Amino acid sequence: MAATQLSVADQIRQLEGARKLVLKDVSYYPQVIQATLPIIGPSSQVEFRRWGSEFLAEAFATPAVPLSSKETLSLVVLDTLKSLVEDPKQDVLVLRGVIQAAASIYPLAMRWIINNSYDSTTWEKMTAIKTRIRDMWDTAPLTRGDPLDISRNMVPPNHPALDGDQLEAEASGLLDRMLSALEDDTSDPLLVDATLNTLSILVRQRPKTSNRIISTLFNFNPLKLATTGPLTPKTKVLVKSMEKTTRMLLTHLYRRDVHNPLAGRMQQYVERLVRSRAEIFDETGRKRAMIDQASAVEAKRQRTTTLSSQPQIEITPLKHGENSLAEVFTFTNNEGLKKFSVSDTIPAPLAAKISIRTISQLDTEILQRAINGVRARLAAFHEAHQQPINPETAPLDVEEDEDDYEPDYYAAEDTEQLMNKLDASPTDERRDLQAPVLGALALPAFKLPPPPTLDPEQAARVGQGAIARVFGTMQTLEDPATKKSKAGLNRLAASSYDRDSWITVITRLATRANAGLDEISIIKDEDSTLALPTVSMSDSIREMLYAYVLEDFRKRIDVAVTWLSEEWYKERVQQRFASSPDQPDGTPANYEKWTLRLIDAFLPYLHSQDKILTRFLSELPELTVSILARVNTLCRDPSLVNLALTSLYYLVMFRPPVRNIALDTVQDIWTEYEDARPTAAKYLQRWRPGFVEAAQQGVQGVQGAGSTPVGTNGTVVAT
Amino acid sequence: MEVANGASTTPAPVANGEREDPGAYRLKFCTVCASNQNRSMEAHLRLSQANYPVISFGTGSLVRLPGPTMHQPNVYPFNKVSYDTMYKELDGKDHRLYTANGLLNMLGRNRQVKWGPERWQDWQIGIPRTEQGKDRGHAGTEGGVVDVVFTCEERCWDAVIDDLLNRGSPLNRPVHVINVDIRDNHEEASIGGQGILDLADSLNKAATEERDITGAAAFDMASAVSRMSFDEKVPEIIGEWQERWPNLPATWTLAWF
Repeated sequence: MAATQLSVADQIRQLEGARKLVLKDVSYYPQVIQATLPIIGPSSQVEFRRWGSEFLAEAFATPAVPLSSKETLSLVVLDTLKSLVEDPKQDVLVLRGVIQAAASIYPLAMRWIINNSYDSTTWEKMTAIKTRIRDMWDTAPLTRGDPLDISRNMVPPNHPALDGDQLEAEASGLLDRMLSALEDDTSDPLLVDATLNTLSILVRQRPKTSNRIISTLFNFNPLKLATTGPLTPKTKVLVKSMEKTTRMLLTHLYRRDVHNPLAGRMQQYVERLVRSRAEIFDETGRKRAMIDQASAVEAKRQRTTTLSSQPQIEITPLKHGENSLAEVFTFTNNEGLKKFSVSDTIPAPLAAKISIRTISQLDTEILQRAINGVRARLAAFHEAHQQPINPETAPLDVEEDEDDYEPDYYAAEDTEQLMNKLDASPTDERRDLQAPVLGALALPAFKLPPPPTLDPEQAARVGQGAIARVFGTMQTLEDPATKKSKAGLNRLAASSYDRDSWITVITRLATRANAGLDEISIIKDEDSTLALPTVSMSDSIREMLYAYVLEDFRKRIDVAVTWLSEEWYKERVQQRFASSPDQPDGTPANYEKWTLRLIDAFLPYLHSQDKILTRFLSELPELTVSILARVNTLCRDPSLVNLALTSLYYLVMFRPPVRNIALDTVQDIWTEYEDARPTAAKYLQRWRPGFVEAAQQGVQGVQGAGSTPVGTNGTVVAT
Repeated sequence: MEVANGASTTPAPVANGEREDPGAYRLKFCTVCASNQNRSMEAHLRLSQANYPVISFGTGSLVRLPGPTMHQPNVYPFNKVSYDTMYKELDGKDHRLYTANGLLNMLGRNRQVKWGPERWQDWQIGIPRTEQGKDRGHAGTEGGVVDVVFTCEERCWDAVIDDLLNRGSPLNRPVHVINVDIRDNHEEASIGGQGILDLADSLNKAATEERDITGAAAFDMASAVSRMSFDEKVPEIIGEWQERWPNLPATWTLAWF
């Protein structure tokens, strides 16, 4: 009818309209498929066959259509698929669609014949399609997903159409053919990748095939192509692709099944692959590097020759980013000299002597060059600082922790930034170094001018400067190479001048030095006009400790525990000595406040395998309901549910004093996060039997009656 | 180093980035980065401007945007918060900061492209996408599958492959997964977007050529293996593209939906 007037394009557009309709409402599939089958048959124009085979592939693949309708529909389309696939001159894209559709239909047809053994015609059609596809020796391996699982175990022994042994033999033959893609020397990389990417489901669902597949993988060398020919851009893509795909598959397999006896070998194989890949691709890299190096050496030589007539001082431009004042004035490349701090180690009179001697003997030309160098640096520094932040190049990647992803926290850069800030801020502190002005040449009696009086704010700032220097010193101390044996109870805190000692000094400064003083002055001076520094000394030390821990919280969690233990201890002692029992307890709750701040700060960076949270919670001297409530919030991220729950469960098992509040938190998690219920229920079953049932009844009760609040219901039952 | 990138191609500049070519064959694309904000959205926009069907996802566990300091990122759940909501929230928090670091500009662009960030792992492949009619690049993606997935970072590629291995190829449908390594800032995302569009054009050209072979040129089944299909050409196309874009290292595999 209309077909005679309408162009191919118009008809395809009409078919697309029908497709949009079924995508919106899948219940139309039977009608649309019935109506389109005659249009897409073997004698139609290629455009219609292509559209039709793609449409059928989509219909039988989409999870939106229920299996029962797919089963019914499959009986309708088999004839068309068979005639399409059997045409020896069939278009390749049509074949692609037909094979995809047939692969999706195969398990449906098999289930059908298992239960309806009279219908041998349908099974014969399916078998014919399968044979035809196999005869083409094509690339479509027949693999399956869960809800459609078929296996020869489901085939009854006396089935008239299906012979279990034959199917088994056929299957193992097919597997051999698939794996031959990895065994042949002349394999097409496309086939290799396509095959590798289908193997994981086979290993999982057909454990019998696992050994055969994995041993084939062990014998497969994805890097072979790189050793047999020249590395063209295309072979590079191919080699990288096969290597990475193999590695992904093996990693996936041993991660999913860590108890597999071959897991260790798989891991070794992956490591070996990484090494050989690095060798292959490094070689080319190294060659280039050699050339680069050669030219670099030449450049360097030129520079030194031009410099040799000049005085021996090399003025390099400042490195990018923040620079300390010291760096602006430093012209040496000697790391040891750079780190050497005159002010810390040499008494001021001696330093003055050395300076005068040096300056008097200095070649004026060198001095001039140095001064100009500093000037140029300062100018460049100034210019750089006027540059506004460039939204185009500002980094956007907020580091996050994926299961298999360990970001580096750029701790080095951070430390540097922090140091620079500290370097830059307390300028007042250097006031005492100002040179006294000498009046005459004769030496009169000299009196130091009286120190300027410090107002509280200045005093606080100077104090902060002092603390900053302690932090500075501490950061330059290396980790002790070997763990020293613990001195036990007899040890003296802070006697060894290593990092641990400084941590002890700092934490005690923060917690004990002026314990009680801050609070008293606040209470007394509440109405007075005396302006107090807005931030107390202790709090600013705490702030620095906080920043220090967060810079690298995984490494510095023991610092956090030491610090918080000090806080807790101090609060205990203070409470014991609190004046009168009837007065409200005035000691501030620093322990809890800073514990919460720390937890809040590092929670967003946890990943599902992190042990740091469990460790932190178990080492804290005291746990409160609000601390555990923070753990509760972790469950917002489904991948962290297990981490949160196991951390809590650890507390339940090994810290009896907090067992109850930990269990309360688990209950809260059960109530709040549906994702977490299975695991939470498992833990609760043991320790609070009855809660889950009661809570579930509560939920149903609410849904039924719509009146009882769930939360109260649950907790009432639990306590 | 930017000089070399894409130097030899420079497609004819189009005034507003939009391309007119209705009715031609189009491969269906998907772009993926960590948070479905910067790199994948830049590429999503570019591909949609060239009339390609395109959808986009993030593989992270949460949507993470820079905050006032390194330790205070702005964190949102996937699939639940729209770009518009994020825009308004950050605008309210600190207009100057989020203008200066380009976040508002980015979110402003994104809300013109689609509703909000979607998580790859939550994508139900093959479920029709008929509700997203207002998204840019929606036309052609109604079936809920694509032909090519572009990831913008190696670990996103890893996450996609691992997820596909996990799903066990229930749809029997091949898909090319290509990583194009792009640093996460606006400038690099823009360069990377151009690179991805160039690669998409090259792939689409090969796919179109394959479809044009019909009738008289219809291939002989006997020589099917020797005939270069589109799928087989992909590594070659990527190799040539890599020459043009040496600073966007690529990884590829053929996986299954």
